[in-house]
Amino acid sequence: MKFGIFFELSTPKPWRPDSEYQVYMNALEQAQLADELGFDQIWAVEHHFLEEYSHCSAPEVFLTAVAMRTKRARIGHGVVLCLPPFNHPIRIAERAAALDIVSGGRLEFGTGRSATWTELGGFGVDPDMTKEMWDECVRVIPKMWTQEAFGYQGKFLSMPPRNVIPKPYQKPHPPMWVAVTSPETAIQAAERGLGLLGVSVGTPREYEERVNEYRRRIRECEPVGEFVNEQVNGVTFMYVDESEEEARYWGSQLVRAFAALAAQFPAVSAIYPTPLYKVPGLLFGLRREQEKAQERAEATAAGTPGQGARSGPIREGMAIGDPETVIKQMKLWEALGMDRMVFLLNMGEAIPQEKVLKSLRLFAEHVMPKFDREAPAAKASAKPAAGAQKSTP
Amino acid sequence: MPDYGWLEQEKLPHALPLAAPSYPPPPWPLPGARFLRVTFETEREALLRWLPPSLMRPVPPYAQILVAHYPESPVGPFSLAVQSLGARARLLVRSYSFEAVTDSQQALLALREQWGFPCRLGEVELRAAQGEAEARIRVAGRTVAAIALREGRVIEPETVRFDPILNLRMLSSLQEGQPPPYVAMAQIDPAYTIHEAWRGRAEVSYPEPSEGAPWHLVPFRGPIIAVHAVADTELPYARFIVPFQT
Repeated sequence: MKFGIFFELSTPKPWRPDSEYQVYMNALEQAQLADELGFDQIWAVEHHFLEEYSHCSAPEVFLTAVAMRTKRARIGHGVVLCLPPFNHPIRIAERAAALDIVSGGRLEFGTGRSATWTELGGFGVDPDMTKEMWDECVRVIPKMWTQEAFGYQGKFLSMPPRNVIPKPYQKPHPPMWVAVTSPETAIQAAERGLGLLGVSVGTPREYEERVNEYRRRIRECEPVGEFVNEQVNGVTFMYVDESEEEARYWGSQLVRAFAALAAQFPAVSAIYPTPLYKVPGLLFGLRREQEKAQERAEATAAGTPGQGARSGPIREGMAIGDPETVIKQMKLWEALGMDRMVFLLNMGEAIPQEKVLKSLRLFAEHVMPKFDREAPAAKASAKPAAGAQKSTP
Repeated sequence: MPDYGWLEQEKLPHALPLAAPSYPPPPWPLPGARFLRVTFETEREALLRWLPPSLMRPVPPYAQILVAHYPESPVGPFSLAVQSLGARARLLVRSYSFEAVTDSQQALLALREQWGFPCRLGEVELRAAQGEAEARIRVAGRTVAAIALREGRVIEPETVRFDPILNLRMLSSLQEGQPPPYVAMAQIDPAYTIHEAWRGRAEVSYPEPSEGAPWHLVPFRGPIIAVHAVADTELPYARFIVPFQT
């Protein structure tokens, strides 16, 4: 199992003239250290208008800076909102290819469609159309990357034959992923041969059924790209400290800051009745879990770290605790067959920068050695797409 | 030792509201109710001005107008219109009642005193047919709000969600110049069994703004969605009491 980090670039109020600058600089310092310590991937989200929660609306720019400061870590561009009103598919293909080039072929390409009314309403996107838009995008983008004259007549994109350039450095193209918050999306990822990029902060038990179904379905996939990416990537929070008590204190700050900031934004499913957003997504899900956790904490004595139940906002599977605790928690994910875990390190700058850096060092020094990380980070299936070349980037 | 009275709290004087309310106690079953609800974006300042300090506003700020007709209730048929503000209590989605109108004198007392709806007596008209629905809310002869659903289409009932309601409840002070001795919010979570639903474009207007029933203080800044539904529901006991202050 491999480990990575991801950034929301959360910028809390009160905003000073240099607040966003400081958050970006802190994140770049964390990314550089993570690369030096051997973390395998560095991801950045794409969000719009989610004030305080995420100021990462131009992730390709931020990730270019990450690529310039790092040497080995894969560069996770994800998820890119694959909806033409947000990002024209040609521009997505061009920017991603350029990022792959400047990073020396380290790009991981995540796709998604947004789950908040804040974003969809802001771009005037009909929530009922997002699945179709996303589907069309993920089918045309790999063709733009691999064909010299790509022309297309579709519902949301039409273009005469053109050579979309540059082409990605990785051949035939970077691994593709999709953000998964529901069992339905996990199946759709599998059917298209896309990696499962879990974006719900869930427990290993909650992931288990979804992952098993994904593994089963992907054997029969019709990949949209030139190869199948059958990896499963989970997300959770991370804060490691020598002291369990200290770790739990700062880890709780992190989780609570995330939940409080996320709570501001109406999930599509909460405000707009549509079968395409039955599952409320990451933001709502975590709020609900937070509520349950608070109720549990009030009802029972504090749980014992590493032994199933965990107390307060800290849930099973979170990389929060002293190194021994975190190893136990990561073993739960490993037993589930996760290929990768990526961690959110800070939110609302709730944890001082020096502590975030120390947490990264402790994880690398004490936790990483306990896991087999020999397989290449960009593992892809040997199964080629129908009529496509067999390739492993 | 002098003798003190023996009255227990459960055995209050018979004429006081607690012992002899002017309305049936909760829960009120409300079968066969018809709803038109519009959800729309509004102004940040409008929400912040009217939300209690323990609630936070969503981004973007939004509000709802729900017009309901209840053909059966313990006090007979009545209609209720509620304008509510999108809010978050702790981390959870809530709907904070800002203005309300009912057309039933009998329901009015219960809605105000028992559940805390900021209710006035008025006229509430709801019409729906062939994928279109309209409602008008009148107070003292003025149409303080009008809403509509246009170009409706049938949707799966289970996709329609109703947020828990927060109603402000206050005891007025009988001591001159003193603040209310009790201020809190009651959280009411009615259950809904939705039989049919449509969804369509939302329209909201305030044709005759009234200072006495100021629905216009929550400006319309763009539609989100309108929903029409037929459902069995209820007015239950409050589930939680939420503090007014943080």
